[in-house]
Amino acid sequence: MLLLDYQNVLIQSVLTERFSGAPPASIDQTVSDFDGVTFHISTPETKTQILLSIQIRCFQDLVQYGAEEVLQREYGQYVAPVEPGFDFSVMVDLENIPETKEERDALALKFALLKRNAMAAPFEQAYQEHYQLREEASKFTSEEAPQGVQEGGQVKAIHYREEEAIYLKASHDRVTVIFSTVFREETDRVFGKVFIQEFVDARRRAIQNAPQVLFRNDPPLELQDVPGVRNTGTGEIGYVTFVLFPRHLTPQRMADVISHIQTFRDYFHYHIKASKAYIHSRMRKRTADFLQVLRRARPENEEKERKTASGRTFKVQGN
Amino acid sequence: MSQSLRPYLQCVRSSLTAALTLSNFASQTAERHNVPEIEAQSSPEVLLTPLTIARNENERVLIEPSINSVRISIKIKQADEIEHILVHKFTRFLTQRAESFFILRRKPIKGYDITFLITNFHTEEMLKHKLVDFIIQFMEEVDKEISEMKLFFD
Amino acid sequence: MNNKRTHATNATAAASQGDSGMTSETKLARPVNCNKRGVNWQPARRRLAGPSPPLHSPSRIVRWHCWELRNQARNVIRNVHRRRHRRHRIPRARHLHESLLPLPSVSLRAVRRPPSIMANQTPAVVMDNGTGFSKLGFAGNDSPSFVFPTAIATKGPAGGAGGSGSGRPAVGNKPSFLTGGAGSGGHLSSKRGTEDLDFFIGDEAIAASGGPGYGLHYPIRHGQIENWDHMERFWSNSIFKYLRVEPEDHYFLLTEPPLNPPENRENTAEIFFESFNCAGMYIAVQAVLALAASWTSSKVQDRSLTGTVIDSGDGVTHVIPVAEGYVIGSSIKSIPIAGRDITYFVQSLLRDRGEADSSLKTAQEIKEEYCYVCPDIVKEFSKYDRDRSRFAKHVVTHPNGRQVSVDVGYERFLAPEIFFNPEIYSSDFLTPLPTVVDGVIQQSPIDVRRGLYKNIVLSGGSTLYKDFGRRLQRDIKQLVDARIRASEVRSGGARSGGLDVQVITHKRQRHGPWFGGSLLGQTPEFRSYCHTKAEYQEYGPSIVRRFALLGGPGGA
Repeated sequence: MLLLDYQNVLIQSVLTERFSGAPPASIDQTVSDFDGVTFHISTPETKTQILLSIQIRCFQDLVQYGAEEVLQREYGQYVAPVEPGFDFSVMVDLENIPETKEERDALALKFALLKRNAMAAPFEQAYQEHYQLREEASKFTSEEAPQGVQEGGQVKAIHYREEEAIYLKASHDRVTVIFSTVFREETDRVFGKVFIQEFVDARRRAIQNAPQVLFRNDPPLELQDVPGVRNTGTGEIGYVTFVLFPRHLTPQRMADVISHIQTFRDYFHYHIKASKAYIHSRMRKRTADFLQVLRRARPENEEKERKTASGRTFKVQGN
Repeated sequence: MSQSLRPYLQCVRSSLTAALTLSNFASQTAERHNVPEIEAQSSPEVLLTPLTIARNENERVLIEPSINSVRISIKIKQADEIEHILVHKFTRFLTQRAESFFILRRKPIKGYDITFLITNFHTEEMLKHKLVDFIIQFMEEVDKEISEMKLFFD
Repeated sequence: MNNKRTHATNATAAASQGDSGMTSETKLARPVNCNKRGVNWQPARRRLAGPSPPLHSPSRIVRWHCWELRNQARNVIRNVHRRRHRRHRIPRARHLHESLLPLPSVSLRAVRRPPSIMANQTPAVVMDNGTGFSKLGFAGNDSPSFVFPTAIATKGPAGGAGGSGSGRPAVGNKPSFLTGGAGSGGHLSSKRGTEDLDFFIGDEAIAASGGPGYGLHYPIRHGQIENWDHMERFWSNSIFKYLRVEPEDHYFLLTEPPLNPPENRENTAEIFFESFNCAGMYIAVQAVLALAASWTSSKVQDRSLTGTVIDSGDGVTHVIPVAEGYVIGSSIKSIPIAGRDITYFVQSLLRDRGEADSSLKTAQEIKEEYCYVCPDIVKEFSKYDRDRSRFAKHVVTHPNGRQVSVDVGYERFLAPEIFFNPEIYSSDFLTPLPTVVDGVIQQSPIDVRRGLYKNIVLSGGSTLYKDFGRRLQRDIKQLVDARIRASEVRSGGARSGGLDVQVITHKRQRHGPWFGGSLLGQTPEFRSYCHTKAEYQEYGPSIVRRFALLGGPGGA
């Protein structure tokens, strides 16, 4: 598994199963997703009406950047009154779902992408802003463009985790996405740095089309005036900047780019952990080798050592 | 094997072989106790002069002999941050399994990454030259392992 | 959770917040905005707040009653516990949180915290990795989110014998903590790039191993983890791909089999804290969790962690006595008869009759759909002969669409009967299950035997047959009564007060340990029982050798 899925696997599988014509059953499950997102999938009234609610830490931020419109557009007829304690709810009636299997699977997937779609709003807005600014900028030559056009739009901050945020800034020739990410542990920080270096190198080497990636431990210039950005100076917080150039910003590629970039943090942390697992397995192997060598130091006929069921060794005394 | 590594390891091997002349020696301070004198440090007359063998400023071995025990501390090469982390992780992993390594000290001596403690009981039970082989092989392979792990990242 | 209950539990949930004036809607909607971090949900104050006088709405009145009932139940329980405390001399503050104490009807929903609180405190992840299947999910749910085989498919040939995932203890196959089963991955140094990420787990692993290039491995054998490399990757994939959680944000509740060596715990902790940086974790013994799961049964009056657990999965059946949350290791007995044997037995009966389809899959379907336990085989045979309607027909649909009908006859009651009369199936193991259970309890310390007889809890898929518990209870009772009578005769006229034998059957038997974990993992005090990453770093892996008993009296 190299990439992470964008959708929530559990919700997808539950809904696919429900949609496949299985006998109605009551559901009541709380499901977590990355970044402290909580889903609640339930059948509150009848077994055929499935209610899916989502709670996102940064929903206030998202609403500010047009999440409600995006969700309305995506889920339209399925939008339901918000379940108490949650931020957004959708409801599907099993008696009223599309006919073909493909459509049903697509619907299940759409529901499973609820988090992705909610989080997509600010990105879409940044895209629109970029189009608009480009339009305006095309009227001027680069020198005489008015200040507003050159500087670009406001920085959008999405505080999607307790100490971490995504910042978005659109300008006429690019969209800048900045992740602030916290490393709790020295090992993670070092491994993370190597990974980012990989990203940076990737662009230099083969993949010219990849977005530009920058990594630094102090807030980038774009975030100078943004409230809540602090410079700890300890290197605990890293800022990863993606610069999306016009070729990433075509409307056709928008959906893909948004999905990818959203899972960046989780992807990043997943790989740090996977490489730790790899290193562990190497160390296990090497430790076993060392033990083998050490065991050779014992004379052959020594049979006094016994093992208990738990694998501890002990010596039989007095013989 | 690089040119400077061979004499370095050869030197460690000879020094170790010389240092591993251990005999049973009961504690002089506590009755009916038998402790590794190098750890107890209670009777200066049974301690020998410690010896440092350095290949360069980053790689060195400290051998501390005494009448019934020898402490061998190794500083593993760490060129950069990643190697530092990897060495740290690896030695931690090993010391956590010290139980089955018999001669591994659970805590390294200050300034070194990993320490072995060989007592006369070990040399009585195990073949001395094989123990020396083990230490030498360990030194060789740790370097190799660390650089391979680092390669994985690059 | 069924629909009927939803209303009532909403009411209890609302009442449990002790809301005193607001309607339930506003109360429930409120916490969204007031969920400042660190605000603790304080049950103690709730008790003092008291309910508002019941006013107009009927739902309010229902709630008022619930409140009354709750209070009553609480008082009773408090008294019971006070008595128990005195006996154990355990400070009261350490006691089980009140929200876990029995309510008129025990259900997960009733003790669930409002969602806004849960968001600030991410739900604990409950993982029960068994020999055959892994059960993964979040605490507070009533069923695991994922149940899939504990299997991993990696590039290269299959390790060892591959597939059976046997639960049988094999001779001379001791786990090694140091090699971690790294033997098969001998070409590690030749690995580069992303090979180590090219693997599948669970059902996908089974599917992938059917194709070329992948080998299937079962990292857990006989309940214990044998291949740590594979297990680490299995966990990593479970967490990131299936559960989709960032381990740094969640606490984990893991399970282990009884008599799991402490080194295994340490290795587990090393993986969870060092590789995954998980926030905190708790390792519980499966049998103890199975006992906790039985608290949902109406037959259980006091939530003690004393009882005998009969855990029957696919490969092996264990009888495990537990006293006050601690497994009595010396008295555990295993029986080599479990789900797989029942399937084989059904299959052999089908073959004997020459049915059109006698595949293992069909046998398993018949076992799961039609089998039950009868009180007396001889009578049951004659019942079948008198009443032909008891014979069933099972229709098997082949992949090519062809349908075959298979007769289902005596195997309906004969198959589970091998627990009670093993001689009809096996020639080398002949002790009936009730005798084994009785023997196990007799081997346990005398002062807990009464509790062990009174609380015999079933767990695992092979205990789900109808009337399994009833039959077991009857048979054990007969054994016990016979012994008491004999000793009365021997003692010359002394009368015994008798002994209570009770077998608990409950709805959560199938995933008993997981459900028990879910129940305990959602309690507010769960986190205080866990070891955190900071503690791990302070003390090292040996810290996980000791855990305070979750859900029991006393505690840390």
